[in-house]
Amino acid sequence: MSIRAGNGISRRNVLRSGAGVMAAGTLSAPMVHAQGTGGTLRCGFWDHWVPVGNDILRRLCAEWGQANRVEVQIDFITSVGNQNLLTIAAQAQSRSGHDLLSFPTWEPASKAELLEPVDDVMGRLIAKYGAVTPAAEYLGKIGGKWVAIPAVSGTQMKPACVRFDLLQQHAGIDIRAMWPNRNERGPGAETWTWDTFLMAAEKCHAAGFPFGIPMGSFSDAVDLVGAVFAGYGASVMDARGNITVRGNAKLRTAIEYMVRLGRFLPNDVWAWDDASNNRALISGRSALIFNPPSAWAVAKRDQPAVAAQCWTVPCPAGPEGRFTPYLPYFWGIWGFSRNKNSAKALLEHLSERPQAEAQTTTSSGYDIPPFMSMNDFAIWATEGPPVGTVFNYPIKAHHQSQTSVAFAPAPAEFAVQAYTQALNTKVVARIAQGGETIDQALTWLEREMNTIKRGG
Amino acid sequence: MSATIAKSASIYSRAGSLASERRWALWIAYISLIFAAVIFLAPPVYMFMTSLKTSAEIANMTGSPWGVTSPTLDNYQVLLTNATFLRFFLNSAIITVCVVVITMVISILAAFALARMRFWGSQFLATGVFLTYLVPDTLLFIPLYQIVGGLGLLNSIWGLILVYPTLTVPFCTWIMIGYFASIPKELDEAALIDGATWPQMLIKIFIPVAMPGIIAATIFAFTVSWAAFVYPTAFVTTPENMPLTIGVVSQLVRADTYAWGQIMAGALLAALPPVILYAFLMDYYIAGLTAGATKG
Amino acid sequence: MADGTIAAPRAPDFAGQRANSLQRFSRRRSTIAFLMTLPLLAVVVGLIAYPAAYGIYLSLLNRRMTEFAGLLNYEILFDSDTFWNVAWQSCIFAITAVLAKALIGFWLAHMLHDIPAKGQRKWRGMLLIPWVIPPALSTLGWWWMFDPTYSSINYVLSIFAIPAVSWLGEPNWARTAVIIVNVWYGAPFFMIMYLAALKSVPEQLYEAAAIDGASSWQRLRFVTLPMMANIISITVLFSLIVTFANYDIVRVLTNGGPRDLTHVFASYAFQVGILSGNIPRGAAVSLFMLPLLAICAFFVLRGVTRRNKEQM
Repeated sequence: MSIRAGNGISRRNVLRSGAGVMAAGTLSAPMVHAQGTGGTLRCGFWDHWVPVGNDILRRLCAEWGQANRVEVQIDFITSVGNQNLLTIAAQAQSRSGHDLLSFPTWEPASKAELLEPVDDVMGRLIAKYGAVTPAAEYLGKIGGKWVAIPAVSGTQMKPACVRFDLLQQHAGIDIRAMWPNRNERGPGAETWTWDTFLMAAEKCHAAGFPFGIPMGSFSDAVDLVGAVFAGYGASVMDARGNITVRGNAKLRTAIEYMVRLGRFLPNDVWAWDDASNNRALISGRSALIFNPPSAWAVAKRDQPAVAAQCWTVPCPAGPEGRFTPYLPYFWGIWGFSRNKNSAKALLEHLSERPQAEAQTTTSSGYDIPPFMSMNDFAIWATEGPPVGTVFNYPIKAHHQSQTSVAFAPAPAEFAVQAYTQALNTKVVARIAQGGETIDQALTWLEREMNTIKRGG
Repeated sequence: MSATIAKSASIYSRAGSLASERRWALWIAYISLIFAAVIFLAPPVYMFMTSLKTSAEIANMTGSPWGVTSPTLDNYQVLLTNATFLRFFLNSAIITVCVVVITMVISILAAFALARMRFWGSQFLATGVFLTYLVPDTLLFIPLYQIVGGLGLLNSIWGLILVYPTLTVPFCTWIMIGYFASIPKELDEAALIDGATWPQMLIKIFIPVAMPGIIAATIFAFTVSWAAFVYPTAFVTTPENMPLTIGVVSQLVRADTYAWGQIMAGALLAALPPVILYAFLMDYYIAGLTAGATKG
Repeated sequence: MADGTIAAPRAPDFAGQRANSLQRFSRRRSTIAFLMTLPLLAVVVGLIAYPAAYGIYLSLLNRRMTEFAGLLNYEILFDSDTFWNVAWQSCIFAITAVLAKALIGFWLAHMLHDIPAKGQRKWRGMLLIPWVIPPALSTLGWWWMFDPTYSSINYVLSIFAIPAVSWLGEPNWARTAVIIVNVWYGAPFFMIMYLAALKSVPEQLYEAAAIDGASSWQRLRFVTLPMMANIISITVLFSLIVTFANYDIVRVLTNGGPRDLTHVFASYAFQVGILSGNIPRGAAVSLFMLPLLAICAFFVLRGVTRRNKEQM
């Protein structure tokens, strides 16, 4: 993985991280000691997929701990096998564990009453850095209160990562011209719609390089289908919790679109997980996937020739706008924590621009800061080869794009259930793979939504 | 005369058909064993092949997946020189040894009492013990988390040592009840007449006689606690306290980037201690069983 | 007469002493027995019964666990197609896998028993390997073998000109894959249990059967099977329970997909309870296994006790 030297990371470490995950991932002790009187702060951060992503958090926390005389203990909890969700559920049940944790997408909302409100911290940060990405606000601000701080480390977008050579050759689209590594749109950028995308998908499929879009029950699949639905203005539940499946023409159009697209995907996408699309890209068998830059970074390590032909561009636009899948993490403080003040201070420190930039830079640009004013970190322009490949990874003003969270704007407690059960990909799969009619599938969807809604 | 010839011929032919039946049985046995071995060993062999590959070769995805173009021991070397991975090994070893000892003490004592010293409710309890297996661990883990958390044993191998017996004790007790029940009643009557106390009887007579059963139960407890997955996933989040199974999965899998070579190397290394243990115990186990059978 | 009057109270005294010592003895015996079962009771009550009762209580709450909801969670589940699907799949999955494991295990145990004793050791060792690798890790290996883009199984099939199979993408193949991995992992356990049982069948019985001119099928039917009935039913019951509650294999291989068609109770309970934050409903799904298995357990255990009594 390419991590720029500097930031206290030795070149040797970088090389080792290239040799294998284990080498860099867990070498240094995860405990950061500081002689002090400020007590002990136990943090459970998300175990970063980019191995050195942990080291930077460790270093930032150590610096802060030394300056503030607080002993900071860090555990990195992986999302593999949903260990982070298990930990959250178990700590919420037993009211014991860490002081602060990384919470993925829906967890702040579902654990809202157990979390310490952080309006003071968010107030100060917003005053300084401006607005937060709306999707992060939808997920983190529950009942008018911020229950968790949108995190830098781990928060990701899933725009399209394109093999520009294949797209040019087989679909005749020069994607780099459309979305250059400058803050402007190139010629033809307004034609980058889901309809164009479908045509390109068909041509690349015919040429033997089908787009690698998972349609299973993992987050890459659910997020992308959510973004397509949002682009067509389709939703299954409104903000008040009313089910909007019946007679919803936009939903029908969006599902029909996905079914058509499904014909041009590899025939086993229904079982793909979050790693399958990466493998499809890295092995050179796919012309396009939707993913953060981690796929490209691994390709750079294992298949450099493939990586050199990758270019990240915004999602195509639908009739109701352009939406990019967004998968945020939040830093939340448990209500049962006895160190709420130091926890708040540490999290505020980590959210400041210099610390945010350090996190993003170390993770090769993977981490997306929650404040839109920070979408101009240098790393996105300089990362390569090819230089500028992730320039368009964060949302820039000229993209005219919004972040999308699948099943928004439904109330979070219902949306999370629909999300984890991947109802949006399943409704498509029922038609495309299971041979049901669209009406049967919609009836099923409505029943499932009712099941979720019942019992509050 | 002709009758005797015919008779002896029929005896010969019968003996011949018996011998050929034997030969056929042997052929069938070897063919099925070879077939089974190929299927059973294909995944470990493939895992071994993958563990010899570099990440680049794995990502390449051309050519035969079963072959290796440039074999390397790097994956093993990285793991075996990595302090964290060795720590996983040590943790697993400590946990497993403790759990096996605890399990065997609990289940031998209880099985002896339930099998030999009939008392009020013993029959009910014996059945009840087996029925505890019906409770799935997905249901148990949240309440158990509260118990373990209340004792301050989260993120500690001692917490795992506390909860693993729920996985091992019922079945081991059940095995031991079966073995103790099969020991002839005359043995303990003789011992009682000689004035032996119950504990003496257990240690001097029952444990030696039931050794095959004890080994069988030990093997079971060892395998289960070595391979346990759901509880450590929930109860341990710090790498220095993780057992091997969860350690390999959580430290080597990075969700959208798998270090396949290292995962496979880790899995094979994790399988090594049980393999070695069984290589030693299995013979004794089977031999003990046959010995017990001829005595009985 | 005087003697008699003196003797009269002495006789009951004697009897009383004997009764006392017997009583004490039996009291001592049950005390010791109770003490010996105490650790077991502690584990069963503290770490299984109490948590299970708590789990049952959880299943009666509403989603936020703020109020008592009665049987609402069960009612909702009964209304849900997905849940019935899961129940159906769990049964098919567990029954097919356990049957296959038992048959393969029985067959291999027989074959192992048939070959000369000195060769048995290495075959036994080789065939036991699947059971020895921690399933959470070996399933990852299988998953990598099923992987659609680079399936080593499809590679082997292609040698025999068999078209590639979408192992985890097509529902029926995905179900087959889950069962294959489960059987692969579990069959060696059956094999070793049956092998041990086979070895404990007294040779004299077979000799007697051979003298009576029994065919090999008759020997199997009338000698081997009755002798092994207990061990077979106990292993089948045990495996049925473990297979029903299996979580690792489904989670790693398919995560329940495609379209929930490979979910089993455990994985579905996990998805509903932990991942979607509806712990009470997840607990309700988990609890569903109980009555089904309790019925199986009742019949199997009754059979075992009956046979034990007959033998005694």
